[in-house]
Amino acid sequence: MSTRKFGPNDTVDFIVVGSGAAGGVIARELSQAGNTVLVLEQGPRYTAADFKHDELGYWFNNAITNSPQANPQTFRKTAADTAKRTEGIPALIYARLVGGSSNHFTANFWRFHEVDFKERSLLGPIEGTSFADWPIDYAELEPYYTKVEWEVGVSGLAGASPFDPPRSKPYPMPPLPVKSSGVLLERGARKLGLHPFPAPMAIASEPYRGRAACAHCGFCIGFGCEMQAKSSTLYTMIPEAEATGRCEVRSESYVSRIEVNDRNRVTGVAYFDKDKREHFQKARAVVVSANGAESARLLLMSADARHPDGLANSSGLVGRNLMFNTYAQANAVFEHELNEYKSVQVTRIVHDFYQSDPKRGFYGGGGFDGRIGPNPIGWAMFQPPPERAWGAEFKSLIEKMPRAMISATHGTSLPLESNRVDLDPELKDAWGLPAMRVTYKDHPDDLANARFLQDRATEVLQAAGAQEVWKDPVEDSTIGVHLLGTCRMGNDPKTSVVDRYHRTHDIRNLFVCDGSSLVTSGRGQPTMTIQALAFRAGDHIARFAKRGDI
Amino acid sequence: MKNNDTSRRDFLRASGGALGAAWLGIQWSDLAVAAGHAHEAAAGRIDHEFKVLTPAQARDVEAIAAQIVPSGDTPGAREAGVVYFIDHVNAGIYARNAPEFLAGLAAFQQEFATSHPGPGQFADLEGPAQIAYLKSVEKTPFFGAMRFLTVAGLLALPSYGGNEQKLGWKLVGFVDQHVWSPPFGYYDKDYPGFEPYPKAARS
Repeated sequence: MSTRKFGPNDTVDFIVVGSGAAGGVIARELSQAGNTVLVLEQGPRYTAADFKHDELGYWFNNAITNSPQANPQTFRKTAADTAKRTEGIPALIYARLVGGSSNHFTANFWRFHEVDFKERSLLGPIEGTSFADWPIDYAELEPYYTKVEWEVGVSGLAGASPFDPPRSKPYPMPPLPVKSSGVLLERGARKLGLHPFPAPMAIASEPYRGRAACAHCGFCIGFGCEMQAKSSTLYTMIPEAEATGRCEVRSESYVSRIEVNDRNRVTGVAYFDKDKREHFQKARAVVVSANGAESARLLLMSADARHPDGLANSSGLVGRNLMFNTYAQANAVFEHELNEYKSVQVTRIVHDFYQSDPKRGFYGGGGFDGRIGPNPIGWAMFQPPPERAWGAEFKSLIEKMPRAMISATHGTSLPLESNRVDLDPELKDAWGLPAMRVTYKDHPDDLANARFLQDRATEVLQAAGAQEVWKDPVEDSTIGVHLLGTCRMGNDPKTSVVDRYHRTHDIRNLFVCDGSSLVTSGRGQPTMTIQALAFRAGDHIARFAKRGDI
Repeated sequence: MKNNDTSRRDFLRASGGALGAAWLGIQWSDLAVAAGHAHEAAAGRIDHEFKVLTPAQARDVEAIAAQIVPSGDTPGAREAGVVYFIDHVNAGIYARNAPEFLAGLAAFQQEFATSHPGPGQFADLEGPAQIAYLKSVEKTPFFGAMRFLTVAGLLALPSYGGNEQKLGWKLVGFVDQHVWSPPFGYYDKDYPGFEPYPKAARS
């Protein structure tokens, strides 16, 4: 817990909005560089002892994620449709607690490849999209990827994948022990001439920097880690930021507005405490790392007379180009037991189809993995095909859980200006703030790519000797958990929201860094890149602060 | 009200990368959060008192649940005490949705009575007739809710009031244990180790 406490009249050097994958890293980097930092997190603070193996609570009752009641959203496919309140499942899902979604994520930790940063130049424009190169390349980000692996803690096997981009250092920890799903994925893929390899995971395979190694309990996806083995910022970056004595993490503090003065400088933020009382905290600069949905919403909610369309929005792109990483899945049952409910979700992945290939007839690429999806209730609710949803056939299928696995595919989502987060004109949240309105429809190439990857995954499962394989239908996404692109990075203020250092083009002392910064979606598993960007942003912003350039 | 199948597919897609809350069938509240982990029954021992359902309602709820996950060579919803879970959550974590659930149940019973004049209720039908009747209503939100509640009552933590003696977990081969070590399954027992690719294979 924070020992440093700032008073209501203090002016801190930085307010960081959000304590997740990006906010945690930036708070640590800025406070270690000598700045005072106040982190405002909308959710509560839990310790490892608070997390439970409670599938009903965590997966179905929003135990740690945004709630459809308190944090309502509306959804529509296109601007021509009427947005309807999402009833049970929010359109955009994120964890709402200190450490953010780095608590409940699966911890797949792929680096993006060189191609991800310059694909627009390599492939040319794609009509109707905002497909663009990044203002930085892989080489510029590589030292920060390495920093994430060592400072945050990633397990993996350097050089195992023939497709991996260059790296300056091996992983600090060996890969986690292979599971039966990994052995089978590897067996099938090798038979087909592919190159499966050990999955890099942000989970400690051995004791690391004062944290315990994974105990293989199996409750990763959707759960907080009770062992502190998952490298969430709750256990890694946040305590290190607090240890500087210059950082306070204030939980249950929900930022409603960023204030800008008549000199076009941010002066601080207004936020609600846990009792819904509003406060104002002064700051010399603000870094918004509230996730790819909430960061855009906060900028839009902070509109004032000088910025009627929201802060940092002279381009009109705040909230636009929302990307998810299109997903598909193939399910399989084998002869013997896999017991996939044990240990981390993923131990082997396939990246042979990472590159886009014009011969396929569509843009896109990606990878797929072997795993279970996920624990008993989820398996019973989601895996059976509709004709086996109840009755004796349903029962016989759920009894096969120990012999089952899935292959999940992770692919590109093209940036489209029409896919966006904005403010619902009518619906309000539990604090009276405008609810998030989500507009999203996959580009046809994204769906074609997802089906292509699903077919390749299906072939691998068959080659591995599965007794039964069935595919889930691939249809338009209405839910996103990878929240990307809504404040994209770029050199041109007309076509981007933040510059190459995450400074907003419009307001000198306002920065945005999280999933919203991504220019393209990569092929999935974006948290590694979000954290590399955060380390890089923290590095540069600390330098700006040091030389008075804020 | 979300379409049942759409919800399921959406959730599947979402669950690949991370995950979050999900619902099938009826709109549930987030009261589990507010309620923390307060449960109606002590862990491992089910409270066999009904708090919400009348005896006639409980008979039908149990009969429906027992068709969703039938008994047989292995235990089903009936043996796992699913009906008690459904009753208890309607008085507890899902109390906010209880009126909607009970209205769905009332409509189910009313429609059954209309199509089956005379004495008796759904639970009194023979098994095959129950299955045939449920097929005619399997697209309704009420049935979707029953399916979700049956699965949850079978497989959630026993402290929620179902999964009696962990029979549901036994059924699906899940063992609730916090520490495991390899080998985890049959196929990883004799894994020889990762064999690197020859340099020539690298692109």
